[in-house]
Amino acid sequence: MHIADGIISPEVCAGMAVASAGAVGFSLRQLKKTETTKTIPLTGMMGALVFAGQMVNFPLVVAPVSGHLLGGVLASIILGPWAGCLVVTLVLVVQWALFADGGMVALGVNVFNMGVIGALGGYAVYAGLRRWMPSPRGTITSAIIAAWLSVLAASTMFCLEFALSGHHDYSLPNLFALMTTFHSLIGLGEALITGFVLSVVLDQRPDLVYGQPSLDNMQTETPRRSWQATPLRTAVVGLMVALAVAGFLAPFASGYSDGLEAVAEKMGFDAHVDADPQVLVLDEYQVPLGSEDSWFMSKLSVSIAGIGGTLAVFAIALLLGRGLKPGAEAGHAT
Amino acid sequence: MPRDFLDPYSRGNSICHRLPDRLKILLVLAMIITALFVPPENWPVHGCMAAAVFLAMTLAGIPLRYLLVRLMFFFPMIMGLAIAVPASTGFTKGWDVMATVLLRGTLSFMGVLWLVNVTPFDRLLVALRQLGLPQMLAAILAFMYRYIFVVFDELERMREGRRARTFSKQGLLAAWKSNAQLIGMLLIRSMNRAERVHGAMCARGFDGEIRTLDS
Repeated sequence: MHIADGIISPEVCAGMAVASAGAVGFSLRQLKKTETTKTIPLTGMMGALVFAGQMVNFPLVVAPVSGHLLGGVLASIILGPWAGCLVVTLVLVVQWALFADGGMVALGVNVFNMGVIGALGGYAVYAGLRRWMPSPRGTITSAIIAAWLSVLAASTMFCLEFALSGHHDYSLPNLFALMTTFHSLIGLGEALITGFVLSVVLDQRPDLVYGQPSLDNMQTETPRRSWQATPLRTAVVGLMVALAVAGFLAPFASGYSDGLEAVAEKMGFDAHVDADPQVLVLDEYQVPLGSEDSWFMSKLSVSIAGIGGTLAVFAIALLLGRGLKPGAEAGHAT
Repeated sequence: MPRDFLDPYSRGNSICHRLPDRLKILLVLAMIITALFVPPENWPVHGCMAAAVFLAMTLAGIPLRYLLVRLMFFFPMIMGLAIAVPASTGFTKGWDVMATVLLRGTLSFMGVLWLVNVTPFDRLLVALRQLGLPQMLAAILAFMYRYIFVVFDELERMREGRRARTFSKQGLLAAWKSNAQLIGMLLIRSMNRAERVHGAMCARGFDGEIRTLDS
């Protein structure tokens, strides 16, 4: 799951890092608002737990291969979306700082895919679904669906970032289909583990789950308006659903898009035969002096398209969410 | 549990270990960005950087065996991703993208591997803090690092208990359930511990603000 350096282009990495920094900063601010001193020890412990939990191997049918927990949705369910996002971010930082897992420049990308889309988005799905199914069984079901979607959405997000990186010699719809198929299987494992673990927690200490009625004074410190659909949550649900739908439609659309892409490629190749078609690389040898501008412009346009596209999607989703705000039905945009 | 089982070589005393931490971070960052921007046709540049990283590894006293083991874990992951590119076109093209990804990915990985093995986590944290990491994040990270060892010990204790009580080989579903139970109980115990720690911190005057001796 960890994207190493060298896969996503630096421009996209920069854009994603900005987006991630914004989301993490926002999460920090939300946590500071709760005015509890508990955040630091609790979040730190949860991070250590997710880290250790990943060392527990779950055997698969194929003998030497095993899966493990990713933990984004689980952390969000226990500590709430903001702390959950932080937990995933910090687990990624520690894995980077101890094992060099996941790239340094690509850290922002990883945080965005797994922390923002995975934990925040996953929590939004979970919260939305739980409004329908408030029973313990419903809680577990919501968590399972959210965990599965979070993995799928992260892989979808990766495909988008990869496409924006300006790699050319591949078929995006097919890559999409490949990644989606692969990750819907991984997601199945994550969903099952999350469901099992949550059922244990609900059985033993239901008060530990964020937003549950408290048994001790733990939650009296932070009065929680659980399950209310805030515009942000609604927006994130919308984004998630859109990504999931796109992920699902991709395999079916691939045949059609392949033809379309082939045509576009042909025409694009004919049109730009003397411009550098490979925006991925800084190639001083192939770019004739005159087209220095066009190279720069194409590079710039790729990065602007990347950042702008992501922001536009968020802006649209946020606006939609704001429009839906007062309705009780706003939590589950379907 | 040994204190340094996670990053065994980071507490050495070589010339690499003694370099200023912030310099090392920026150096590796610069190297990765260079690696990302230099086109694969200029592979001698990558070669030189690889040689430099290898030299740095040798200077830092990181054994070759450790390097190979880490690469053995890293390579299948990036290979799986990279092979998806030619696979998406039915292995007709995309090989150059794959080569680029492999070249840049491996080189960047080696760079970061060097960095984390010549900088202990606590010093890395201080350096990141100086480079603008928010204080609350740094505090949570410090807590998290400390607790990793505690939670690992707890996990190992629970696993030992399970081993002592499990005589027959488990089925697949049973293994999943018992593993999930393990994590679930670990979660409950960790949260209990976090609350105890929080109580102890409050008893010592913690008000949500982290103060260190050098801040």
